[in-house]
Formats: sequence, structure tokens, C-alpha cells
Amino acid sequence: MITRRVFLRNHALTIIGTSVVPAFLRRAAFGATEGGVRGRRLVVIFQRGAADGLNIVVPHGEAAYYAMRPSIHIPRNAVLDLDGFFGLHPALSPLYPMWKDKHLAIVHAAGSPDPTRSHFDAQDFMESGTPGLKATEDGWLNRTIHSLPASNSAFRAVAMGATLPRILSGPQRALAISNLNDFGVGGRSPQATPLENSFEAMYAGSVDAILQGSARETFDAVKILKAANPEQYSPAPAANYPRGRFGESLKQLAQLIKANVGVEVAFADIGGWDHHVNEGGTEGQIANVLREFSQSLAALWIDLGNLAEDTVVITMSEFGRTAKENGNRGTDHGHANAMFVLGGPVRGGKVYGRWPGLDASQLYEGRDLALTTDFRTVVGEAVYRQLGNKDLMRVFPGFDGRPEKFLGLIA
Amino acid sequence: MVQLRRPFAFLSLALLFGLPAAIAHKRAASENDAARAIHLLNRMTFGPRPGDKERVLSMGLEQWVAKQLHPESIDDRTLEVRLAPLRTLRMSPRELVENFPPQAVIRQVAEAKQGLPRDPEKRAIYQAQLVRYREKQDKKVGALDQNDMTPPVADPGALDQSRLLALAPDARVAQLLKMTPEEQVKFLASLRGPERDQFVEGMTPEQRETVTAMNSPQQVVNDELMAAKILRATYSERQLEEVMTDFWLNHFNVFIGKGADRYEISSYERDVIRPHALGKFEDLLDRTAASPAMLFYLDNWLSVGPNSDFATGIRRNPRGRRHYPGELPAGLESRRRSGLNENYGRELMELHTLGVNGGYTQKDVTEVAKVFSGWTLKQPREGGGFSFEERMHEPGEKIVLGHRIKDGGQKEGYQVLHLLAHHPSTARFIAGKLAMRFVSDTPPPALVERMANTFLKKDGDIGEVLKTMLASPEFWSPEAYHAKVKTPLEFVVSALRATQAEVSDAVVIVRNLQTMGMPLYGAQPPTGYSMKAAVWVSSSALLGRMNFAIRLAAGRIRGVETAPLPPSPGDQGRKAMEALRSLENNLLSGDVSAQTHETISARLDDPAISHRRLDDPVGPPDIALIEGLLLGSPEFQRR
Repeated sequence: MITRRVFLRNHALTIIGTSVVPAFLRRAAFGATEGGVRGRRLVVIFQRGAADGLNIVVPHGEAAYYAMRPSIHIPRNAVLDLDGFFGLHPALSPLYPMWKDKHLAIVHAAGSPDPTRSHFDAQDFMESGTPGLKATEDGWLNRTIHSLPASNSAFRAVAMGATLPRILSGPQRALAISNLNDFGVGGRSPQATPLENSFEAMYAGSVDAILQGSARETFDAVKILKAANPEQYSPAPAANYPRGRFGESLKQLAQLIKANVGVEVAFADIGGWDHHVNEGGTEGQIANVLREFSQSLAALWIDLGNLAEDTVVITMSEFGRTAKENGNRGTDHGHANAMFVLGGPVRGGKVYGRWPGLDASQLYEGRDLALTTDFRTVVGEAVYRQLGNKDLMRVFPGFDGRPEKFLGLIA
Repeated sequence: MVQLRRPFAFLSLALLFGLPAAIAHKRAASENDAARAIHLLNRMTFGPRPGDKERVLSMGLEQWVAKQLHPESIDDRTLEVRLAPLRTLRMSPRELVENFPPQAVIRQVAEAKQGLPRDPEKRAIYQAQLVRYREKQDKKVGALDQNDMTPPVADPGALDQSRLLALAPDARVAQLLKMTPEEQVKFLASLRGPERDQFVEGMTPEQRETVTAMNSPQQVVNDELMAAKILRATYSERQLEEVMTDFWLNHFNVFIGKGADRYEISSYERDVIRPHALGKFEDLLDRTAASPAMLFYLDNWLSVGPNSDFATGIRRNPRGRRHYPGELPAGLESRRRSGLNENYGRELMELHTLGVNGGYTQKDVTEVAKVFSGWTLKQPREGGGFSFEERMHEPGEKIVLGHRIKDGGQKEGYQVLHLLAHHPSTARFIAGKLAMRFVSDTPPPALVERMANTFLKKDGDIGEVLKTMLASPEFWSPEAYHAKVKTPLEFVVSALRATQAEVSDAVVIVRNLQTMGMPLYGAQPPTGYSMKAAVWVSSSALLGRMNFAIRLAAGRIRGVETAPLPPSPGDQGRKAMEALRSLENNLLSGDVSAQTHETISARLDDPAISHRRLDDPVGPPDIALIEGLLLGSPEFQRR
């Protein structure tokens, strides 16, 4: 079923541009060498700064929503309706086709159960995967790799950015890549440069564990990248990545995935969500950042072509924002939020999770959207079903994430 | 973990720093003294320059620290000469806005609410921005008639770039000022990288500023601020003051990308942070709380008490007009409703003072927000300063951390800041952060406790806290030696210092830091940048460092020249080895691992590396290459 849907979608694209054809053929070729095992991938997107879930997936069926947000609500007639009760912010229109094709699912009132309203702590908890526990040293995405079948790929876990985020730090090797085009030392060349060899030797023999380890991963990756030459995979014609860091991150991520270097988990983030002042409604600050967000995700989806069939993308943000607008036409730090789950195997076209309501008595601490789904239930299902890692106790220690509790997001 | 750990005779120095019965260990091995000097320089400065170790040793470590704790006693004229051309550093926010107008000011001029300045260069900056502003407006009105609406402009080719570039600097400026604003915009846009450099070549700093400002006035302000940061860190003799200014700027972080803060950070660093960097913590706290930079960054300037006259006055008036006559902070007049903004209240306790586990609740956050309601700004977009507006202030008593704060207007804020500045949680939090900067990513709790005690006993005197740290054996322990991985800023500046680089265009260095993930003044979240190794040792970051090292040594970074190494006598083979030894001394203080040394000496024979031709085995060694490899080595990534 799903395969057919993806195929149809890509078939439509082949009419527009032929560049998806080589990808299609390539996949067939590589499929054989991999013994028929599908390369399943999980991409995690972090919206840093606490995105306002109530203005992103709008509960337009709630009178209380409009009462609490006199100046920054999204009018009923402006939302992209999802199911008669929820609707997408109009700036998310690039994602609407995916919803209609049932490749996009939404989980509302989800997030981290910890009550903190500190950006720093909440991001830390969501990345460590142990809300409330500060002593956890590694990130959950790093732990996810631990129980997967062994892989030699240096690109197995990749973060797009100059520094490795908390979510991917830990004993399993993971890469941070800010720009594929200058990933090397001493200029571009198809072979290792003499400088690369020198630095590699210097660091390989160093007793400085942290630098030695990081350098080994780096130079492995440099070599693989030179062989795979991802630059040859330019974006598909219909994939219009917007300008900016996030679009560029996803564009390069697509290049890596298309170059078949063995990406299993990937991470990218996008900032600019902390709208304490003048948040805006259908237009304004939140609309601008949502446009960048949705255009980038839609471009990735189109760009991946058939590879999207094996890809699941999950978005998250450290907490939501106050249900009521504040005195500056913005919103302050809140609690639960909306998560997007996008991908080939996703059972989309549905808003998952129990809606707690927005009446005064239903709000968390009298001010925020209450939380009904722990984010670990959502990502746990992806880790289990998409990546095939059944050891969820290790990924999320102390959390009861049995498969019986899954929402059924992924086929 | 660290190569070539040199166990110190640690106690002896600890004794010198005030522990009882200082016995002068004249017999202490000179090697230990040298290692101590290097350790001190690595921690209290942006990295040792060749010769620094000897200077510290001849002055005595204690004397050197004493001087650094009193920066005003150190002659810093050479730095001042370097900073002199950057005149925005000496301007107030209002002067900055006036000389380098942001869009808001240009709009005022476009709407004829404000006139053009008389000064021809200033006028040119305004006019160029007016052209851009109108172009943008036209695009908004509709792209349809765009081609027909814009007045005919001479083809930039017709302005004859090459003829203009051949003129003397003064004549170039004169020609530029003679053009119509439309021509200026087009002409400047037509200049590409090297031509642009050529065009401003030989101009006075003011003339250069004018040219940059015609493109983007705001960029002048930001470029000069960032260039100054690099120049100070690299060249100031008052190194500890620079290190601490950097530390507090990061602690009381303000993001340069947020609106009015683009024009406020110069003053924030100069007037709020630097003068108190080695002073009392409470002064820093008071000054940051009332600084336009912080008030704008954390939105407190918009915070209005829900029961304040401002809030209730509006509600009482049926026509929606202000209850009070007179001027209110710009941006507030148009607001229908008003309310508290908790952003500053929360970060004040979580990040500036108590720390996240410092023992405060959400209720405290709201109460502190009430206390600071009314701490606002007059016309922040035009560089207007702090003002306390009683009308916006929440009336009544507040309870903060169990303390009763009596209704007292602006005084309440200072009372809360005093309370926070002397809280034991604050002492521990600040001591821990200082120890993390100066000792290790996981400082020994006993050391932190000792520093926190000094903080409480000495009224938050930062110099005293540092002295306690320096008198502690933990600072001088073998575990602490080279325990810190440099941040990108520390790496880049320490490389400039070690190579005695001559920086003529610091903006280029600024851009390099951006690609290493540490744009200056560019940490968006209020946490600032991390000081921990794990954050800065990633693949991209490591490659970025190696590339920077190679390009710096090879002189391939525009605007930066490294000092050439004096030629040494003897045959070429020996010369290469001597050069390596000498560079190891200069760049790594001789603290090089066998692995690094052997890798480089082996590579000296490799023609592909040494650039030597195969038929010329006695050609000179590629010094720049050795230098680059050493700067990119694992040893140089630590301090």
C-alpha cells in the first residue's frame, strides 16, 4: 500500500523532471548489494526555543483558544483544516499535500512531562531522553544506535551543524557536519590530501582520548565522503529548499542519504521560535519561521524520492507556550506541544493523542496546554518499528514504553 | 589523558599565594617554574606568546597576577593605537543610530518626519539607505511596474570602475559622493570582493566606514565591535581583564541578532561589563539589570504590571486612549493590553544568579517579574536609554524567595538584586562557573566550595574569588594541567598570539569563528556558549581548526600576517629539525608529544608535504607547513 503511494507520488514527479530516475535505478542496484535489507532511517528535527504548538496545529474547534488569544489567533477561515477540529497554520501549506496523501501524522498535546519552563533544562531533558534526570550523560539518539545491528558506516549517525548536539553525544560514534563542501583539510581532492594524512597520523597516536576518538571518526568520514562524492546528487527539480541554515541542512542531509553512505539516524535543528513579543498570527514572526520550516521539510520529502519510503521524520520542541497570549502580543513558556511524524511508513492523515481541552480547569497549572502523550512514546515507536531497535528500556531508561502503548503511527 | 603531564611541585606555589608560612623554594626545579608559568598563562590569558613565559618568570608569578588583577596599572597603549580607527567603539547607542541609521530611522526620513544630516558623508549614507528603502517599498506595492517606475540610472559600467579605482583615495570618495544615490547603490553593488578591497585601499577609517555604511550602516557597527573583540583578546596586555570580560559577556549573554541590541552591545561591553569584570558581582548584576541591552534582549522593557496604572488606565478609558498624557516608551502606545513578561525574571535567577537548582519556584519567577515591571526603555530602536516608569510598575508588596519586598517602585528591583547577589546558591553557581572556566570541566567540589565561601565573605569580590582559586592546590594539580579544550575563540586567538600574527583586518577572523560554530556575540539563547570540551570537539569543528591552522601559517588568511621565523645556520636537513624544535617551543611551549613530533619530522622528508621538488633535496624546509601542523595538533587544542 505504502509503497504504491510513494511510487505514485514519485511517478508524478518523473513527469516533471527526470532526475529521480537515476535515484530509482540506483536504489535498485544498491538494494541488491545490501541483501535486500531496507536502509531504514530516522530523522529528528528539533525546533529550539519552544514552538507555539497551538498556533501551529490550531484547535479551531475550541472557543477557548480564540478567547485566550485575541490578537494572535489563526482565524478559522485561514487554517488548513485537518479534521474539522484541528487545522494547520496557513504557512504550513507545503506540508498539506503530505497530510492528504496520508504521509503526515500529528500528535497533539505531546512533549516532555517534566514541569520545567527553562529552555536549557527542557532541551536537555528532551535530548537526554530522561526528563527530570540531569545526571544522564548521553543522548537518546546515541543510545538508539547501541542496540542496532553493527554498521561500519561513519555516517550512521549524523548531526547537521558545527557542533554535536546533546541528543547524539555518547559512546556511539556520531558526526557533526556543518558543510559537506568543506569537509576535509587542505582543499578538495578526490584522494586524501597529504595534510589529512599527517593530521590523521598525529591524532591517531594521541593519548588524548576525546580528541583522538573524534579525529578517527572524522577522518573515516572524510574518506568515505570523497569516495561517495555526494555533490553529484543535486536536489530534485521540484525540491525547492528555502535559503537559510535549516534548508541548507536538509539539502545536505538529502545528499548524504542519496549518496548511500549508510545514514541511519540524523538530526537537524531550527531556532527562532521564542516569541515572547509580537508573535503574529497568519502573518508575522511565527508565520515566517513556519514557512522556512515547512518549505524545508517539503523539499526534503520531494528530494528523497523513493528513499522517502524508508524514512521517518519526527519534529519536537522543548515545550509549548502559554495558552493565553501575554501583554506583548506574544506567548510565554508553556508545557505540551504538537509533534509531526512524516514519512513513507507513517500512518498519516490523522491527529493522534488525547486532546485535553483548553478550558481554564483543563489547563496545566492553570495556564498551559496539558500533556497527554509523552514524547518518548512517539519516538519510541519510531525507534522500535522504523529502526527495529526493540530495546527501548535501554534507549529510555525508567520509562514504560511497551509496544502496547504505541499510538500506531508507523506501519 | 594528557600527554607529557608535568607533575608540579604544586604546594610551593600554593604557599606563595597566601597559604601559611611561605617558604621560598629557591631550589625548586626551574622546569617546574616554567610549567607553572605556562599553566598560569594558559588559564589567565588568551594563550602565551613567545617570550611571555620568560616575562612571567622574571617578574614572578605572584607579581604578574597582582598586576593582572589591577588592569589599570598596565600600560595598554599599543592596543589603543590599534583600536583608535574603530570610532564606533567610542560612540553612545544614540550616536551609533544617528551615524549608522537602522531601517527605523530611514523610515522616519522617508516619511519626512526627520531631515537628512548636513555632513556630506553622513548624508550619503542616509541617501543610499533611502534608495534601498524605497526600492523595497516599491516591491511591496507591486512588482508589476518595477521596471518603468525606477528612474533611469547610468549603467554601472558607464561609471567606469577601472577609471575610478585608478584615482587617489580622496578623489575616489569625492567621485562617489558626486554620484546620485541611485548610482552609488548600483556602483557599490557592482564591486566584487577584490575590487571592493581595492576601492577602499588607502582610505581613512572614516572614509572606509562611509563606503561600508552606504551598503549597510549596521554592518559598520557590528564589524567594528567584533574586530575590537579579536584585537583586544590578541593584543591587550590586560589579558585577565579581557578573559573576564569575555566570561561575563557570556554569563550575562545578549544576542547581537535581536533588533535594537545590534546598537546596544558596544556600550554594554564598554560601560556595563568591562569596568566591573574584576570588581563586585552585585555591581555587574545591577548594571546588567538596568542595561538597555539586557532589557531589550529578555523583553523586560515591555513588561507591565497587570494592576499598574498603565494597564488599568487603558481599561478604564472607553475610547482606548491613554489615561495619562505624556510620552510613553515607543512601541507601547499601540498596544491594546499589557501584561507581565517573565523572561527576565526567570533567566535572572536561573542563569545570572541562583542557578537552575538554586531553590526558586515558578511563583518566585512571577513575583520577580512584578518587581521589575516598569524597568523599561525610551525609544530603544533609536538608542534611547533606561527609564523607570512608575505607571507600568505593579503596585503592592511582593514575596521573593520568602522575603517580603515592600511596595517601593524602582527600589524593589535593587532590593531583589541585592538579595540574589548575596545568596549562597549564587555564590556556588558563580564559583562553579569560574572554576569551570579556569580549572576543568568538572571542577573539584572542595575548590568550588572554597571559592564560594570567599564570594560570600568578600561581598562578591571577583578578584578575591580568583585569588582563592589561585591559592588552591586544585588549580595547580596535575589533573588540571591541559585539562581544558579551547573553545573556537580561544583556539583562534591563541594561534594568533603564538604566531605573533599581525592582524590588519580582524573581520576575516570573525568570519572564521562563524564557520567554527562560535559567531561572536552570536549565542542566541540566554545560556551563552558552553565551556565544556564535548561541545567543541566535533568533526566539523576539528576540521575547521586544522584548516584554520594551515591557512594561518601559510599566510592564506587575508588581513593576517604571521611573523617569519629567523633563518638558522647549518645544512637544510638540520635546519628543518631546528625549525621544528624552535616552533615546538614557540607554539606549544615545548610541550609536544612524541607522536606529533615524529609525524611532523617524518613528513618533512615527504616531497608532497614539504613542497620540495624531488630533484632538490636540500631546498629550504616549509616552515609554514610545520607551523600549521603544530597549530592543528592535538596539543594545541588544549590549554
